[in-house]
Amino acid sequence: MLLFRSEDHLDRWLASRAKGSSIPVTKLAELALAWWGDRLDPSWQPHTREQNHAILDRLGLTGPFWNLG
Amino acid sequence: MDPADIEFRNATYRRFVELGRAPTATEIAKATGASADQVSAAWRRLHDAHALVLDERGAILMANPFSAVPTAFRVEAGGRSWFANCAWDAFGIGAALHIDCRIESTCPDCGEPISIEVRDGIPNDTDLLFHVLVPAVSWWQDIGFT
Repeated sequence: MLLFRSEDHLDRWLASRAKGSSIPVTKLAELALAWWGDRLDPSWQPHTREQNHAILDRLGLTGPFWNLG
Repeated sequence: MDPADIEFRNATYRRFVELGRAPTATEIAKATGASADQVSAAWRRLHDAHALVLDERGAILMANPFSAVPTAFRVEAGGRSWFANCAWDAFGIGAALHIDCRIESTCPDCGEPISIEVRDGIPNDTDLLFHVLVPAVSWWQDIGFT
Protein backbone atom coordinates (compact mmCIF):
# COMPACT_ATOMS: atom_id res chain seq x y z
CA MET A 1 0.00 0.00 0.00
CA LEU A 2 2.27 2.67 -1.40
CA LEU A 3 2.15 6.22 -2.70
CA PHE A 4 3.54 7.15 -6.11
CA ARG A 5 4.19 10.51 -7.69
CA SER A 6 2.06 9.62 -10.74
CA GLU A 7 0.71 6.81 -12.90
CA ASP A 8 3.99 6.79 -14.86
CA HIS A 9 5.97 6.20 -11.67
CA LEU A 10 3.60 3.40 -10.66
CA ASP A 11 3.85 1.69 -14.06
CA ARG A 12 7.66 1.88 -14.00
CA TRP A 13 7.78 0.43 -10.49
CA LEU A 14 5.38 -2.38 -11.36
CA ALA A 15 7.46 -3.43 -14.41
CA SER A 16 6.30 -6.99 -15.02
CA ARG A 17 4.27 -7.28 -11.82
CA ALA A 18 0.50 -7.39 -12.11
CA LYS A 19 -1.17 -4.12 -11.22
CA GLY A 20 -3.47 -4.19 -8.20
CA SER A 21 -5.79 -1.23 -7.73
CA SER A 22 -4.87 2.45 -7.69
CA ILE A 23 -6.88 5.41 -6.48
CA PRO A 24 -6.22 9.17 -6.26
CA VAL A 25 -4.73 10.37 -2.99
CA THR A 26 -7.82 12.49 -2.36
CA LYS A 27 -9.94 9.34 -2.29
CA LEU A 28 -7.36 7.67 -0.05
CA ALA A 29 -7.82 10.51 2.43
CA GLU A 30 -11.59 9.92 2.41
CA LEU A 31 -11.07 6.19 2.82
CA ALA A 32 -8.70 6.69 5.75
CA LEU A 33 -11.13 8.97 7.55
CA ALA A 34 -13.99 6.49 7.17
CA TRP A 35 -11.82 3.47 8.04
CA TRP A 36 -9.72 4.85 10.89
CA GLY A 37 -11.68 7.85 12.15
CA ASP A 38 -13.14 6.01 15.16
CA ARG A 39 -9.94 4.14 16.04
CA LEU A 40 -9.17 6.21 19.14
CA ASP A 41 -12.74 6.69 20.34
CA PRO A 42 -13.20 5.45 23.94
CA SER A 43 -16.36 3.66 22.76
CA TRP A 44 -14.56 1.96 19.86
CA GLN A 45 -15.95 -1.36 18.69
CA PRO A 46 -14.44 -3.46 15.91
CA HIS A 47 -15.95 -2.81 12.50
CA THR A 48 -17.99 -5.65 11.11
CA ARG A 49 -17.20 -6.91 7.65
CA GLU A 50 -20.49 -5.35 6.54
CA GLN A 51 -19.47 -1.94 7.93
CA ASN A 52 -16.13 -2.10 6.14
CA HIS A 53 -17.78 -3.16 2.91
CA ALA A 54 -20.21 -0.25 3.22
CA ILE A 55 -17.23 2.13 3.46
CA LEU A 56 -15.62 0.66 0.35
CA ASP A 57 -18.92 0.64 -1.56
CA ARG A 58 -19.63 4.28 -0.69
CA LEU A 59 -16.27 5.26 -2.17
CA GLY A 60 -16.81 3.18 -5.28
CA LEU A 61 -14.19 0.61 -4.29
CA THR A 62 -16.09 -2.39 -5.55
CA GLY A 63 -15.49 -5.50 -7.61
CA PRO A 64 -13.47 -8.65 -6.90
CA PHE A 65 -10.28 -6.77 -5.92
CA TRP A 66 -11.96 -4.90 -3.05
CA ASN A 67 -14.05 -7.85 -1.86
CA LEU A 68 -13.13 -8.53 1.77
CA GLY A 69 -14.33 -12.12 1.48
CA MET B 1 -14.85 -9.13 21.51
CA ASP B 2 -14.61 -9.17 25.31
CA PRO B 3 -15.19 -5.69 26.83
CA ALA B 4 -12.20 -6.21 29.13
CA ASP B 5 -9.99 -6.90 26.12
CA ILE B 6 -11.28 -3.72 24.47
CA GLU B 7 -10.23 -1.81 27.60
CA PHE B 8 -6.70 -3.23 27.29
CA ARG B 9 -6.78 -2.37 23.61
CA ASN B 10 -7.89 1.21 24.28
CA ALA B 11 -5.22 1.67 26.95
CA THR B 12 -2.61 0.36 24.49
CA TYR B 13 -3.70 2.84 21.82
CA ARG B 14 -3.76 5.74 24.29
CA ARG B 15 -0.20 5.04 25.42
CA PHE B 16 0.97 4.53 21.84
CA VAL B 17 -0.29 8.02 20.98
CA GLU B 18 1.23 9.55 24.10
CA LEU B 19 4.62 7.86 23.82
CA GLY B 20 5.08 8.01 20.04
CA ARG B 21 6.08 4.34 20.22
CA ALA B 22 4.49 1.03 21.13
CA PRO B 23 3.99 0.54 24.87
CA THR B 24 5.29 -2.58 26.61
CA ALA B 25 3.01 -5.02 28.42
CA THR B 26 4.51 -3.77 31.69
CA GLU B 27 3.56 -0.17 30.85
CA ILE B 28 -0.03 -1.19 30.07
CA ALA B 29 -0.14 -3.29 33.23
CA LYS B 30 0.88 -0.22 35.22
CA ALA B 31 -1.71 1.95 33.45
CA THR B 32 -4.57 -0.51 33.98
CA GLY B 33 -3.74 -2.14 37.32
CA ALA B 34 -3.51 -5.57 35.68
CA SER B 35 -0.52 -7.89 35.57
CA ALA B 36 1.81 -7.98 32.56
CA ASP B 37 0.70 -11.58 31.98
CA GLN B 38 -2.93 -10.48 31.82
CA VAL B 39 -2.00 -7.76 29.32
CA SER B 40 -0.02 -10.21 27.18
CA ALA B 41 -2.90 -12.69 27.17
CA ALA B 42 -5.36 -9.95 26.15
CA TRP B 43 -2.98 -8.79 23.42
CA ARG B 44 -2.85 -12.36 22.06
CA ARG B 45 -6.65 -12.52 21.85
CA LEU B 46 -6.72 -9.08 20.20
CA HIS B 47 -4.05 -10.23 17.75
CA ASP B 48 -6.15 -13.30 16.86
CA ALA B 49 -9.14 -10.97 16.31
CA HIS B 50 -7.04 -8.69 14.04
CA ALA B 51 -7.49 -5.79 16.49
CA LEU B 52 -3.69 -5.36 16.69
CA VAL B 53 -0.62 -7.25 15.50
CA LEU B 54 2.07 -8.84 17.70
CA ASP B 55 5.58 -9.80 16.72
CA GLU B 56 7.05 -13.25 17.35
CA ARG B 57 8.00 -12.23 20.92
CA GLY B 58 4.45 -11.12 21.77
CA ALA B 59 5.29 -7.40 21.66
CA ILE B 60 3.15 -4.88 19.76
CA LEU B 61 4.19 -4.68 16.10
CA MET B 62 1.16 -2.78 14.78
CA ALA B 63 -1.68 -1.00 16.48
CA ASN B 64 -3.11 -0.01 13.12
CA PRO B 65 -2.68 2.61 11.82
CA PHE B 66 0.40 3.01 14.07
CA SER B 67 3.57 1.00 13.51
CA ALA B 68 5.93 -0.01 16.30
CA VAL B 69 8.88 -0.16 13.92
CA PRO B 70 10.29 2.47 11.54
CA THR B 71 8.68 2.45 8.10
CA ALA B 72 8.69 4.55 4.93
CA PHE B 73 5.72 6.53 6.29
CA ARG B 74 6.31 9.06 9.05
CA VAL B 75 3.49 11.22 10.31
CA GLU B 76 3.86 14.43 12.32
CA ALA B 77 0.88 15.97 14.08
CA GLY B 78 0.36 18.14 17.12
CA GLY B 79 4.08 18.33 17.85
CA ARG B 80 4.51 14.54 17.94
CA SER B 81 5.33 11.88 15.37
CA TRP B 82 4.64 8.24 14.66
CA PHE B 83 5.39 5.68 11.98
CA ALA B 84 2.48 4.28 9.95
CA ASN B 85 2.31 0.79 8.47
CA CYS B 86 1.51 1.95 4.94
CA ALA B 87 0.16 4.91 2.97
CA TRP B 88 -3.42 4.14 3.99
CA ASP B 89 -2.39 4.05 7.64
CA ALA B 90 -0.37 7.25 7.23
CA PHE B 91 -3.58 9.08 6.39
CA GLY B 92 -5.27 7.04 9.11
CA ILE B 93 -3.17 8.56 11.88
CA GLY B 94 -4.40 12.09 11.23
CA ALA B 95 -7.92 10.70 10.74
CA ALA B 96 -7.82 8.82 14.06
CA LEU B 97 -6.40 11.81 15.93
CA HIS B 98 -8.77 14.22 14.14
CA ILE B 99 -6.01 16.74 13.61
CA ASP B 100 -4.04 18.11 10.69
CA CYS B 101 -0.79 16.31 9.95
CA ARG B 102 2.22 16.08 7.67
CA ILE B 103 3.13 12.78 6.01
CA GLU B 104 6.71 12.15 4.91
CA SER B 105 7.50 9.30 2.54
CA THR B 106 9.33 8.57 -0.71
CA CYS B 107 8.15 7.49 -4.14
CA PRO B 108 9.03 3.77 -4.46
CA ASP B 109 9.88 4.31 -8.14
CA CYS B 110 12.20 7.31 -8.15
CA GLY B 111 13.08 7.63 -4.48
CA GLU B 112 12.17 11.31 -4.42
CA PRO B 113 10.74 12.56 -1.13
CA ILE B 114 7.00 12.94 -0.83
CA SER B 115 5.76 15.44 1.72
CA ILE B 116 2.02 15.89 2.15
CA GLU B 117 0.23 18.41 4.30
CA VAL B 118 -3.23 17.21 5.29
CA ARG B 119 -5.54 20.03 6.38
CA ASP B 120 -9.14 19.30 7.36
CA GLY B 121 -8.68 15.84 5.84
CA ILE B 122 -7.59 17.16 2.43
CA PRO B 123 -4.06 16.52 1.09
CA ASN B 124 -2.28 19.49 -0.51
CA ASP B 125 -0.71 17.38 -3.30
CA THR B 126 -3.53 15.88 -5.33
CA ASP B 127 -1.35 14.39 -8.08
CA LEU B 128 -0.22 11.47 -5.94
CA LEU B 129 -1.52 7.97 -6.58
CA PHE B 130 -2.20 5.25 -3.99
CA HIS B 131 -1.64 1.67 -5.11
CA VAL B 132 -2.75 -1.55 -3.43
CA LEU B 133 -0.95 -4.64 -4.71
CA VAL B 134 -2.76 -7.35 -2.71
CA PRO B 135 -6.50 -8.03 -3.18
CA ALA B 136 -8.61 -7.25 -0.10
CA VAL B 137 -9.54 -10.86 0.55
CA SER B 138 -5.83 -11.68 1.14
CA TRP B 139 -4.80 -8.67 3.26
CA TRP B 140 -4.62 -10.61 6.54
CA GLN B 141 -2.80 -13.61 5.07
CA ASP B 142 0.41 -11.58 5.49
CA ILE B 143 -0.49 -8.20 6.95
CA GLY B 144 3.16 -7.16 7.07
CA PHE B 145 3.51 -7.60 3.31
CA THR B 146 0.10 -6.06 2.62
